[in-house]
Amino acid sequence: MHAGVDQTEADDTRLVAALRAGDEQAFGGLVDRYYGVMLRVARDYVATKEAAEDVVQETFLGVIQGIDRFEGRSSLRTWMFRILVNRARTRGEREGRTRPFSSFASGLDDDEPAVDPDRFVPDGRWAGFWSAPPSAEHLPDAKVLAVELGDRLTQAIETLPPAQRTVLELRDVRGFSSAEVCELLDISEANQRVLLHRARSKARAVLERYLQAGRP
Amino acid sequence: MRQPVVRCVEFVESVTEWTEGALSDDDRLTIEEHLVVCPHCTDYLVQLRLATEVVHEQPPEAPATATRTALLTAFRSQRDSR
Ligand SMILES: [Zn+2]
Repeated sequence: MHAGVDQTEADDTRLVAALRAGDEQAFGGLVDRYYGVMLRVARDYVATKEAAEDVVQETFLGVIQGIDRFEGRSSLRTWMFRILVNRARTRGEREGRTRPFSSFASGLDDDEPAVDPDRFVPDGRWAGFWSAPPSAEHLPDAKVLAVELGDRLTQAIETLPPAQRTVLELRDVRGFSSAEVCELLDISEANQRVLLHRARSKARAVLERYLQAGRP
Repeated sequence: MRQPVVRCVEFVESVTEWTEGALSDDDRLTIEEHLVVCPHCTDYLVQLRLATEVVHEQPPEAPATATRTALLTAFRSQRDSR
């Protein structure tokens, strides 16, 4: 199974059973899949990277200790992220940090257009229509591109404002629904959409630049 | 081409609201009308979807080895204490 694939209920049931049975590989897989994105979510609530690392570790310990009591009323990952956010929030409050999504606000401030304005007709009857349109001819397969473009895209994702990056990772890499993301990050649907829009628009621009430069 | 109500520059800013199903019926129809008459924005959408698929193929960021080992050790000791 690819790491990014959506968890289904059946997967969840199997995974919970494996964790309860003490299956180390199942637990290791969970850590590998979610550690990075959990760290980023936690980072927004607490003052330092070290504090965020503590929170994520505590969360996994909480998962280990709580898995027997997990009732399956939400998905496993929603349950894990709720533990994470509760702990991060508590820790942040103890630090006297007022969060209200500092980085989430910054991700919204950046109002860069999705596409360079120079690529549209500047005035006249066709103002705002493409003058330098994108092309979808001869596009390679996503899996092929992922290999070729991997590093460049990873770098581009790393330079996104934190909030955009977190939303993109939760939605498009981890396959969370918009409702899950809004609940976990405590943001409105509209803000979530803006963050996702900016992040996806930038990912597209990276892809286009790569295709235009000519592939090896 | 017949001039659509929505301009390309507006299309590229509304596309996520459209794919997320957040537009009113009227706005949705004007976006869809734009796509019917504008091959460039259709290509833009194809690129956007492909980029999203490529993002989906990105491997997760793994934790540091020491962190991973510590967590697995905690998992084992909890298991063995039961
Ligand atoms: Zn157009």
